[in-house]
Amino acid sequence: MASTFAPTADLSDRSVLGDSRLVRVSQVALLVAFACAIGAGLFAARSVDAHTVAMVWLQNGIFVLTLSLGSLFFLLIQHITSAGWGIAVRRVAEAHAANLRWLWIVLLLPMLWLHFSHREWAGYGHGLALIWPWADMEHLAAAHPAEAAIVSAKNAYLNTQFFLIRAVAYFALWAGIAHWFVSTSRAQDASGDQALSRKMRTFAGPALIVYALTTTFAAFDWIMSLSPAWFSTMFGVYFFAGTCAAGFSMVAFTCLRMQSLGYLRGVITGEHYQDLGKMIWAFGIVFWAYIAFSQYMLIWYGNLPEETVWFLARQVGDWSWVSVALLFGHFIIPFVLFISRWTKRWKATLAFGCIWMLAFAWLDIYWLVVPVVPSDVATFTTYEALAAAYEGTTTGLSNPLNFLMLGALLGLTVGLTARRLSKGALVCRRDPRFEESLRFENI
Amino acid sequence: MSTLTAPKVDAPSTTATTAPFGLMAEFRTPAEIMDAAKRVHAAGYRYWDCHVPFPVHGLDKAMGVRRTILPVLVFGAGATGALVGFCLQAFANAASFSIWALVWVTGYPFLISGKPLMSVPAWIPVIFELTILLSALSTVGLMLLMNNLPRLSHPLLANNRFRRASDDRFFVVIEARDPKFLRSKTEAFLKSLGASHVEVVEDR
Repeated sequence: MASTFAPTADLSDRSVLGDSRLVRVSQVALLVAFACAIGAGLFAARSVDAHTVAMVWLQNGIFVLTLSLGSLFFLLIQHITSAGWGIAVRRVAEAHAANLRWLWIVLLLPMLWLHFSHREWAGYGHGLALIWPWADMEHLAAAHPAEAAIVSAKNAYLNTQFFLIRAVAYFALWAGIAHWFVSTSRAQDASGDQALSRKMRTFAGPALIVYALTTTFAAFDWIMSLSPAWFSTMFGVYFFAGTCAAGFSMVAFTCLRMQSLGYLRGVITGEHYQDLGKMIWAFGIVFWAYIAFSQYMLIWYGNLPEETVWFLARQVGDWSWVSVALLFGHFIIPFVLFISRWTKRWKATLAFGCIWMLAFAWLDIYWLVVPVVPSDVATFTTYEALAAAYEGTTTGLSNPLNFLMLGALLGLTVGLTARRLSKGALVCRRDPRFEESLRFENI
Repeated sequence: MSTLTAPKVDAPSTTATTAPFGLMAEFRTPAEIMDAAKRVHAAGYRYWDCHVPFPVHGLDKAMGVRRTILPVLVFGAGATGALVGFCLQAFANAASFSIWALVWVTGYPFLISGKPLMSVPAWIPVIFELTILLSALSTVGLMLLMNNLPRLSHPLLANNRFRRASDDRFFVVIEARDPKFLRSKTEAFLKSLGASHVEVVEDR
C-alpha cells in the first residue's frame, strides 16, 4: 500500500497559492518583452548588420537558457541528496526549470531557420556560418586557409547535420527531464504519494549524468565552436559554473520578489535564504573562479599559440577591461559580499548580490560569445605588437540592441515563469519533508 | 608520618569536604530544557551549560549564547595565508633585496619558458594552498583553544547519572564558580524549573 503524506502545518495565512498578483507581474513582464522585441526589431532592421544581430541573439538566448538550466541543476541536486531544507523553495526552482519546455523556440528555431534557409551572408558564408565559421567550410577555406586546415579535421563532429541533431537532442532531453520532475512534483501535490519522492530521487542520478553531458556538449557546440580551431576540455565545466551563478541567483531573487509581493510569508525564512546564498557563493562564485582560473592557468602556462589566441582576443583593446571586470565582479567582490552569514540572511544584501551576480553572469556569456580571435594573429611576433595593432578593439557593449534583446528574452522568461507560478500551489506541501523544511535551521 | 601517606580506602567523607563542581539538573524532554535554559539565562547565571543527546534547535538562542567570533578570526588567518604566499613568492623571484633569517637570504630569479619573473598567475596555486592551510589549521586550532580543549577529564564525566546525556536525558549544569551560585538557593531554583532530579556534581 502506498503511504501518503498529509501536512499538519496550517498554511491558510501564508499565501501559498498563486493568484492575480502574479498574473499582473506576468502581464507587465510580457508587455515589456513585447515592447523590447519591437524595439529590437526596428533597431536591428535600421542600423545593425545581420552578424551582430545573430551574436546578440545567441548571447541573450544562452543567458536566459542558463537561468533555467541552473534551476534544473538546483532541482536535481535537491532530489539526489534528499535535501529537506529546500522543499520550501523547490516550487520556485521548478517554475524556472519548466521554461526548458519552450526555450527551444528561442534558440533552436532560429538555428533551424538559418540552416534551412541557406542564405548567403556576405563575408560569412552560407546558413549557420553567419555565426559558426565551420558551418561553411568552403568559405572558411577561401577566407582563412590555415584555420580551415585545422578545422577540417574536426568535421566529423563539427558539421551542420550532426550539430542540429545534437541541438534537437539537448532540448528534447532538457525539456523531458524538466517536464518529468515538474509534473511529478505537481502530481504529488494531488496524491500525497510518498513513493514519488523516492522515485524523483532515483531518477535524479541518471538525470544529472544526462545534464552534465548535454550542458558540456551544448557549451562546446554553441560557444566554443565560435572559434573552431580553439579547444579547451574544461570549457563545459566553465559554462556549467556560470549556469549555476545565473540559475541559483535567479531562484533566490524570485523567492525574494515573491515574498515582497506577499507570497510565502513564514514559509521561506532567513535560514533558506542563507542556504541559497551559500549555494550561489559555492557554485556560482568560488567554483566558477576555480574553473576559470584553472582553464586560464593551463593555457597561460603551456603557452601554445593555438590555445592562447582565445585569451589574446579577450585582452586586447576594451576587452581587457571586461576581463578584469569579470575577475572582480564575478569573483572577488561577491566573494567578500557573500562570505558573511548576515549578508545572505538580510534580504536587501541578498537581493543586491543576486542582481549583481545575474549582471555578471550575463557579462560572462558576453565575454565568451562576442570577442573575435584576430585572423591575422599569426603574423605578429610579440604580444605588444598585437596589443598595439588591436588597441582600438571595442566590445559593442554600449549597443542598445544588447539591452533590447535582453529585455525581450528576459521579459518573456519572467512573464511565463510568473504565469506558471500564478496557476497553482507555491509549495510542495505534500512532500514528506515539507514540514522539516518549514522548521529548518542552520546549526 | 606514615598515617598521612596511608590511603583511606573506605572514606567517602573526603569527597564531601571538597568544593563541588556545580549543580546538575536533569530534564526529560527538549521542550523542558528549552524552557529551563531561558529561565537560567534570565536569572543571570554566567557559568553554566546545557548537555543534550542531540542538537536541539534554538537552544543556543534560549541560552543567550552569543555567536562565535571564530569566522572572523579564520578570515584573518586566511587573508594572512594569502599575503604570506604572495610575499614568499615575490621575494623568491626577486634579487633586489635580502632579508635576515639567521643568515642573509636573497631570492633566486629563475627564468621559466620566457615568462616574466613576477608572474602572478603562476603564484595563485601557492597563494590558494596557503590560504586554505592557514584557514583550516586556525579553524581547528582556535576551536580547540576557545573550548578549552584538549582536556583529559571533566568532573561531569565521573558522574554516573550524567552518562544519560548521550542517550535520553537533558541536563542543565550550573557551575559553583558562578558569582550567583549559592548551593541552597541554586538547588531550589533548579527544582523550580521542573527538573526531574537535581544533584551536586563533585569536583574530583
